[in-house]
Amino acid sequence: MSGFFQQVVLGLGSGAIYASLALALVLIYRFTDIVNFAQGELAMFSTYIAWQLTAAGVPFWLALPITLAVSFLGGVLIERLVIRPFEGGPELTVVIVTVGLFVFVNALAGLIWSFLVKSVPSPFPDGALDVGGVNISLQTLGTLGVVAAVMGLLFLLFQKTKIGLAMRAVANDPASARLVGIRVGRVLALGWGLSATVGAISGILVAPVLFLDPNLMGGVLVYAFAAATLGGFDSPVGAVVGGLIVGVAETLSGAYVDAIGSDLKIGVPLAIIVVVLLVRPRGLFGHAVVERV
Amino acid sequence: MSAEKATGAALKVEGLTAGYGAGSQVLHGLDLTVASGEICAVLGPNGAGKTTLLRALSGVVRGRGTAELDGTSLLGRAPEEVARRGVAHVPEGRGTFTALSVEDNLRVGAYIRRDTAGVTAALDRVYGYFPVLAERRRQTAGSLSGGEQQMLAIGRALMLAPRLLLLDEPSLGLSPIITRELFRIVKAINKEERTTVVVVEQNAHLALETASRAHVLEAGRFVLSGGSAQIRADGQVAQAYLGYGI
Repeated sequence: MSGFFQQVVLGLGSGAIYASLALALVLIYRFTDIVNFAQGELAMFSTYIAWQLTAAGVPFWLALPITLAVSFLGGVLIERLVIRPFEGGPELTVVIVTVGLFVFVNALAGLIWSFLVKSVPSPFPDGALDVGGVNISLQTLGTLGVVAAVMGLLFLLFQKTKIGLAMRAVANDPASARLVGIRVGRVLALGWGLSATVGAISGILVAPVLFLDPNLMGGVLVYAFAAATLGGFDSPVGAVVGGLIVGVAETLSGAYVDAIGSDLKIGVPLAIIVVVLLVRPRGLFGHAVVERV
Repeated sequence: MSAEKATGAALKVEGLTAGYGAGSQVLHGLDLTVASGEICAVLGPNGAGKTTLLRALSGVVRGRGTAELDGTSLLGRAPEEVARRGVAHVPEGRGTFTALSVEDNLRVGAYIRRDTAGVTAALDRVYGYFPVLAERRRQTAGSLSGGEQQMLAIGRALMLAPRLLLLDEPSLGLSPIITRELFRIVKAINKEERTTVVVVEQNAHLALETASRAHVLEAGRFVLSGGSAQIRADGQVAQAYLGYGI
């Protein structure tokens, strides 16, 4: 039985990583109804910045805030320069722009840092706790803690601050938000900045596990899509719960369903996406779109 | 408390034109003067340009000509910048933030204000005008009835402490009793807050009862302007333009 719980703990560890990238996806989707396909690549780029800083001798705990700040500014700039010209147009156009951004950022990272894999040290200490025969690594605990903290901070931002209220208003109805004097463009840029920051955290959590190369986040993005679909694309809580469920489902099916094993694990998020879209398209915590005419 | 209240401002519009792109001009040079603290009604049939007039004033569509609020030009600014100059526009369809609670809708209405005490006082006043909103403060706005949503939209506009309040068809989709109650409150707000009001209406009878001056808009031009009593007395003319008796 402890073998089963061991798998669950492993699943929660990877699920927390999926959750963190899903949070970044959900942040942008809530504001703009846009699925940002470049989310993973932006996270990867941020991770390279952190790696470059530490490789140059900057201590990790200084490199982290610098990376987050640069990522925030990068998100703001991307909204201003790349997304803004297409704002108000069809959503598909903007989604295609994010696909273009995906390719561009991936190639740019390869150009700057090459496609050779780099190993990134973990911010968390080695070692594990033994809880009733189940091994819980400090890495897993740390990842879960960081994701919980990010979710908590986002909750406080949205529910308890004035700018959070403005962000919710813009997400709900941008035209009305303008009529109460909210500078919607700035709020959207802030949303992209926040999303890029959360994505950077995600990349920094993934890199020590997977090794860093420009394709770091490709697989993670698929799992994050599954997490956001399952949890509801407009719900931050849903993103986290969805991420954890996807992580556990992936590990358990890999461990206990022989036909899946480790080779077909990537099919698990696909199956989750299909089933959720068939059974409950808005996800576990999402809101159905209701329009009153 | 009175220090936190904004007082109304005078609106002066000259030669206002607006439309939706080339070849679809809707307003053909409107002149309109609204005194500070006055309620002005704009009447007219569907498609006359009533909504476009309010949209041009609040920056939602681009207007040309001049429109000044106590000397501050309103044209050529984005809606959020016009709002920051004291214009609260309650749009057609109310523009409620349906996913937010009633109280969050009101609080976001005061987004541009920095005076916390004034915002709290304004919230109390809105709940005073519309007690049903106080009862439903924790509900999501989307769950309110049409009449309650219209009250919320007006309440949210008041939170801005506007100098000019633009109301677009507040009676739309509401029962006659609720509409009458709503106009009574608009009049009370105008009296107590000294807010200047421009209200666009199809319900000419009620609008003329509430407003002191009225203008009849027809195909983008004012065809009749004057005191409400005068317009009402001139029933035949109004009937010709509005298509119904007053």
